[in-house]
Amino acid sequence: MTDEVSIGGRTPRARLTRLGFTDADAATTALGALGDVSATFVEALARAADPDLAAASLASLAARFSRGELLARLDGDAGLLERLVAVCGASQALGAFLARHPEAADGLATARFDPRPMGATDVRKALVGASDKDSLRVAYSTQLLLVAARDLTDHATLRESAAELADLAGETLHAALGLAERRHPDAASSCRLAVIAMGKCGGRELNYVSDVDVIFCHEPADSSDESDALRGATRLASELMHICSDHTAEGTIWEVDAALRPEGRSGPLVRTLSSHVTYYQRWAKTWEFQALLKARPVAGDEELGRAYVDALSPMVWEASTRTNFVDDVRAMRRRVVEQIPVGQVDRELKLGPGGLRDVEFAVQLLQLVHGRGDERLRGGSTLGALDSLIEHGYVGRADGGQMGDAYAFLRTLEHRIQLYHLRRTHLVPDDPTDLRRLGRSMGYRVNPEDDLDKDLRAQRREVGRLHQKLFYRPLLQAVAALPRDGLRLTPEAAKQRLVALGYADPTGALAHISALASGVSRRADMLRSLLPAMLSWFAEGPDPDAGLLAFRKISEGLGSTHWYLRKLRDEAAGAEQLARVVASSRYVTDLLLRAPESVAILGDDDELSPRSRAALVAEAQAAASRHDHPMAAVRAVRRIRRRELSRVGIADVLDRLDIVDVGHALTDIAVATLSGALTAATAAVEDELGTALPTRMTIVLMGRLGGHEVGYGSDADVMFVHDPLPGAEDKEATDAAAAVAQHLRRSLAAPGDDPALTVDADLRPEGRQGPLVRSLASYTAYYARWSAVWEAQALLRADPAVGDESLCRDFATLIDPLRWPPAGVAAADVTEIRRIKARVDAERLPRGANPATHLKLGRGGLADVEWTVQLLQMRHARVVPGLRTTETLAALSAARDADLLATEDAVALEAAWRLVSRIRNAIMLMRARPAESLVEHTRDRNGVAHLMGYGADQSERMVDDYLRATRQARGVVERIFWG
Amino acid sequence: MGKQEDFVLRALEERDVRFVRLWFTDVLGSLKSVAVAPAELEGAFEEGIGFDGSAIEGFARVHEADMLAKPDPGTFQILPWRGETPATARMFCDILMPDGSPSYADPRHVLKRSLSKAADAGFTFYTHPEIEFFLFKGKPLKGQQPVPVDDSGYFDHTAQGGGQDFRREVITMLEAMGISVEFSHHEGGPGQQEIDLRYADALSTADNIMTFRTIVREVALSQGIWASFMPKPFTEHPGSGMHTHLSLFEGDENAFYEAGAEYQLSRTGRAFIAGILHHTPEITAVTNQWVNSYKRLIHGGEAPSYITWGHNNRSALVRVPMYKPHKGQSARAEHRSIDSACNPYLAFALLLSAGMKGIEGEYELPGETEDDVEALNATERRALAITPLPRSLGEAIRVMESSELVAEVLGEHVFDFFLRNKRAEWYDYRNQVTQFELDRMLPLL
Repeated sequence: MTDEVSIGGRTPRARLTRLGFTDADAATTALGALGDVSATFVEALARAADPDLAAASLASLAARFSRGELLARLDGDAGLLERLVAVCGASQALGAFLARHPEAADGLATARFDPRPMGATDVRKALVGASDKDSLRVAYSTQLLLVAARDLTDHATLRESAAELADLAGETLHAALGLAERRHPDAASSCRLAVIAMGKCGGRELNYVSDVDVIFCHEPADSSDESDALRGATRLASELMHICSDHTAEGTIWEVDAALRPEGRSGPLVRTLSSHVTYYQRWAKTWEFQALLKARPVAGDEELGRAYVDALSPMVWEASTRTNFVDDVRAMRRRVVEQIPVGQVDRELKLGPGGLRDVEFAVQLLQLVHGRGDERLRGGSTLGALDSLIEHGYVGRADGGQMGDAYAFLRTLEHRIQLYHLRRTHLVPDDPTDLRRLGRSMGYRVNPEDDLDKDLRAQRREVGRLHQKLFYRPLLQAVAALPRDGLRLTPEAAKQRLVALGYADPTGALAHISALASGVSRRADMLRSLLPAMLSWFAEGPDPDAGLLAFRKISEGLGSTHWYLRKLRDEAAGAEQLARVVASSRYVTDLLLRAPESVAILGDDDELSPRSRAALVAEAQAAASRHDHPMAAVRAVRRIRRRELSRVGIADVLDRLDIVDVGHALTDIAVATLSGALTAATAAVEDELGTALPTRMTIVLMGRLGGHEVGYGSDADVMFVHDPLPGAEDKEATDAAAAVAQHLRRSLAAPGDDPALTVDADLRPEGRQGPLVRSLASYTAYYARWSAVWEAQALLRADPAVGDESLCRDFATLIDPLRWPPAGVAAADVTEIRRIKARVDAERLPRGANPATHLKLGRGGLADVEWTVQLLQMRHARVVPGLRTTETLAALSAARDADLLATEDAVALEAAWRLVSRIRNAIMLMRARPAESLVEHTRDRNGVAHLMGYGADQSERMVDDYLRATRQARGVVERIFWG
Repeated sequence: MGKQEDFVLRALEERDVRFVRLWFTDVLGSLKSVAVAPAELEGAFEEGIGFDGSAIEGFARVHEADMLAKPDPGTFQILPWRGETPATARMFCDILMPDGSPSYADPRHVLKRSLSKAADAGFTFYTHPEIEFFLFKGKPLKGQQPVPVDDSGYFDHTAQGGGQDFRREVITMLEAMGISVEFSHHEGGPGQQEIDLRYADALSTADNIMTFRTIVREVALSQGIWASFMPKPFTEHPGSGMHTHLSLFEGDENAFYEAGAEYQLSRTGRAFIAGILHHTPEITAVTNQWVNSYKRLIHGGEAPSYITWGHNNRSALVRVPMYKPHKGQSARAEHRSIDSACNPYLAFALLLSAGMKGIEGEYELPGETEDDVEALNATERRALAITPLPRSLGEAIRVMESSELVAEVLGEHVFDFFLRNKRAEWYDYRNQVTQFELDRMLPLL
């Protein structure tokens, strides 16, 4: 092997490439600069996270020694070689530091290097010689090099490295304070000053590069007065900050950030202890107490530092009893997970849901909530606090352990990212070279990029379930009395936790959880594994308590149905969808409560698309003919309707359907229902008559149903048509048809488990005064003699769609010339339509209704848009075939294509029509009661805004959008309809 | 609660404040006030103080009238005319819906929305108003001619008139409330005063104008005289405008300034002015919101009637003043039609948004008008493509009605309310038979 590796001090390029160098030429040059390298040396070098970088850095370092000297030392000290390679291969910045200060490498020599993490005392000794900013920087970096070496050669765990970094920072602050005191002796003698570390430094869990958070506390020295002391302490503190953060020839250490102090940046930099105490007693906010969790004196006067912590830390534990604690916590959490820039979501380690800060926040929240009654939880670091939460039963052993591992993984990755340039960043790089280096530095050797990516995803998924695992799962134990996994949460502690998480009625919530999760049944067992996730989804909706209650009812309704729980357990999507649906829609919840089997639809993409009309009609027909008793037949039809309404409602709540899709789907359901009910009614009447029906029947869809635009809970507008069979008596046939129509209306309106459908035939000729059913001949005669223009207008929406197919066609042939008159529409008729609309506008709006927000009759509302489109249809359908449709939007786009309407006018009308229709449906979905106008009560408005996809606190924006869209539509109506 | 709230709560104790007035502004620009005891203030910071929005002009929609006034701690000031101990303080409020979302009916929120949109584009908006008003002897009685406190004119030093003392006291109080005054003098009309506030960000300036009007009225009352911001109380004397200097900053840089450009006016500045000129007809119903406002815009002189811009042209709607050399930071445009009786929040929101439209759409600034527009004849104006400002409230309403810009900036609720209210005012005015008609026509017809 050896002869193949090294030929005259050179290593063949191919061999280098195989060893993992990416730029073999550059590596060859670098190796040449080192001297006559051995095969073992090259192999050691190739173990670096980035061999090319390690080679280049070592070459620069070698240049600072006499020729061959470095190589000789490395050949003689395998440990030194290993550590240098590890550091130089992972950190370009430390490599550059070594090239500037080759003497720093001495510390890595086996004779001097201590693989055990250093304590604060050792660090203090190492920094004591620093006499100015530059030498402090060099001493700091020299120590940092040792920390990195222990870290990268696996001699220190993440916790140990993070603690070492915090100690190094603390001692650096101490040394900097010493320099400041030397520079300002008068100031130093005027006061005692303590530096309290906060944040990650205070928690002894610092990153490689991070701002170091501090608070300063001072007291006058015995001999001096308060104002001298204040001035002196301020001078020392700001000098200390400069010493650390200034950029010199040796660079900078890090920023010292004192913004966590009382009153933040606008407050004085230093305060006396009593001033701190007064502030926290009177003015401090929840987040400030949360920050105090981490306070730890690190530099300056030790006695004062201890006094500070002793005085203030008890206050931390009263924070959770403050009046606004819950709101503050929710607001804080919103800030923690607030949007990170799109495109960085996958690469960001710190921010966003499931980021590092989310874990830290969750642990701190549990500390604040439970630490008040349990002093054992009051530790400083995230991992330490997590350990005690596990140990004392507030978090499950397995869950907590996994969360800790995931956190450690992500923090390690963050450390390795920061080490490279020693820059403060939390973004996973997207460059493959960087990813390869990071992967190798974390021990992935075979497929560093892919394996790192795979594990990163897995750990992030773990952290993504953080809230269920840390917050919610332990709650179950509190009520289900099943001591498992070391959990010992009392009901009182559980309630405190629920309140902090946003449940308004913790007692009720706990009762629901208890009812769901107690017992030894298989069902309770499954629910226990499901509930944590469900609870966290409910907490994200507008009304967590209502969501939980509905979930309890549905689960109880489904009893021990196996597929239900299995479905929710095995299909994560289904469970989350159920949580979203019950937490936001009363309408769907009510349907599900009446027929929980519809839950089966959830989580299944195929099931969440509406069924075709043909399939529905076939099913309804089959159901109707299967049952001999007419009422049983209709019940079967209505059950189908209920199931399909659930399907469409769920898909709608989950934002899977366009408003046009919803209209079509609901129309198809109505058609199938009418069709099945017609069959059942016909059978019932035939039963009474004892013979076959002497006539053929058809149901004509009218109004919004005819336009395929029905909403949830809309009546079905129809007309009944029949045509006596040859030889049948006219009177007999009409009576029989009327009996069928009556039966159909009654059976669909009858109260029952399934939502009733009101069949409304008021749009028939002569309205309520006219006969319910007419024969085709009678319609023909009527339209020939009496037809008024408003009837022709109503016929624009007529769709003969149910019953005898050839009669449907005959009826269409009858009405087509009426609604799309071949000669166009007379000027007098246009005037008449406008006059009727004027009267409708003036008279039909209910007293007290807001004309701007009435959904149907309001300014720019549904009627405005539809009448405008219908007028265009009546005038132009004879020449524009596209206008011969019953659907508003189809007619609108045909009008635009035919240039009857400017594009921007069509856009304005369509936008208003869609928005108003969506809001009308959202109101019904949200509260299971229709509304005439845009809802005004805050709670309703929030619920509708939530369904419409507006964020929290955005309901005013929804109203503004509504008013704008309808105003713009009204502008078009003014010109086109009234024009 | 943040630091500012803490500061306020502490100041309440230190300064012995017994009452805190929570101020907000209705849609037409009238100041509204709710007094609360200091003990209630902590709650007000957290959740706001509930009130019945339907009692406020233009606030509530029909059914749900509950609204919340949430004080802005940054606006905390002691009211100097209420005495030192015990003291009374005030804060401006934001109006919230019961769910905590900002109310779209709140003029302050209208301005905040526009400011934050400009901030998204990297700009902060500064304004500097020159506020004119009249002082009368006693409260004018219905049907009687108002009597001004003096007969002096522009810059006159008046020995006897109370104007000077008056201005001194107003300025003292303004300064006590942290509002800096740039300049003050006697204006052209008898009893007419002008006080210029120092430039500040537009939200502070609008708050300051509301405070200013209150202080001027309070001081006048204390001296037994009457102050009015009515745009045109006398047929024969100039009216009270509120020339307002506008500038945009990008960070610390004045975005209107460009060394070496014509009038040192940057491309951004030119586009901003172009935007204002282009959209002026739409926004005039707001910048000049009263029937009486349009009487001022006829007069010529300091009040423009045509949509033009110019450098040192006092007949122009927008004037680009002469800068002192090396004072890039003071680059600005002066808008001259806006009057002292406007709602400053809405007016600033619209001026800013009109200007921003110009910047976004890269509008071309039309040529400068160097002549006195009033001196040109109609044909000349046509040749120069000079168009007039709306000549009446009715005309201004009609242009505003079809403005998407105004609807978007004001929000649909304010837009709709404002138009309805102004249509009613215009209708009531048209309904009147005036003294002019009686004097002119009764003898003849």
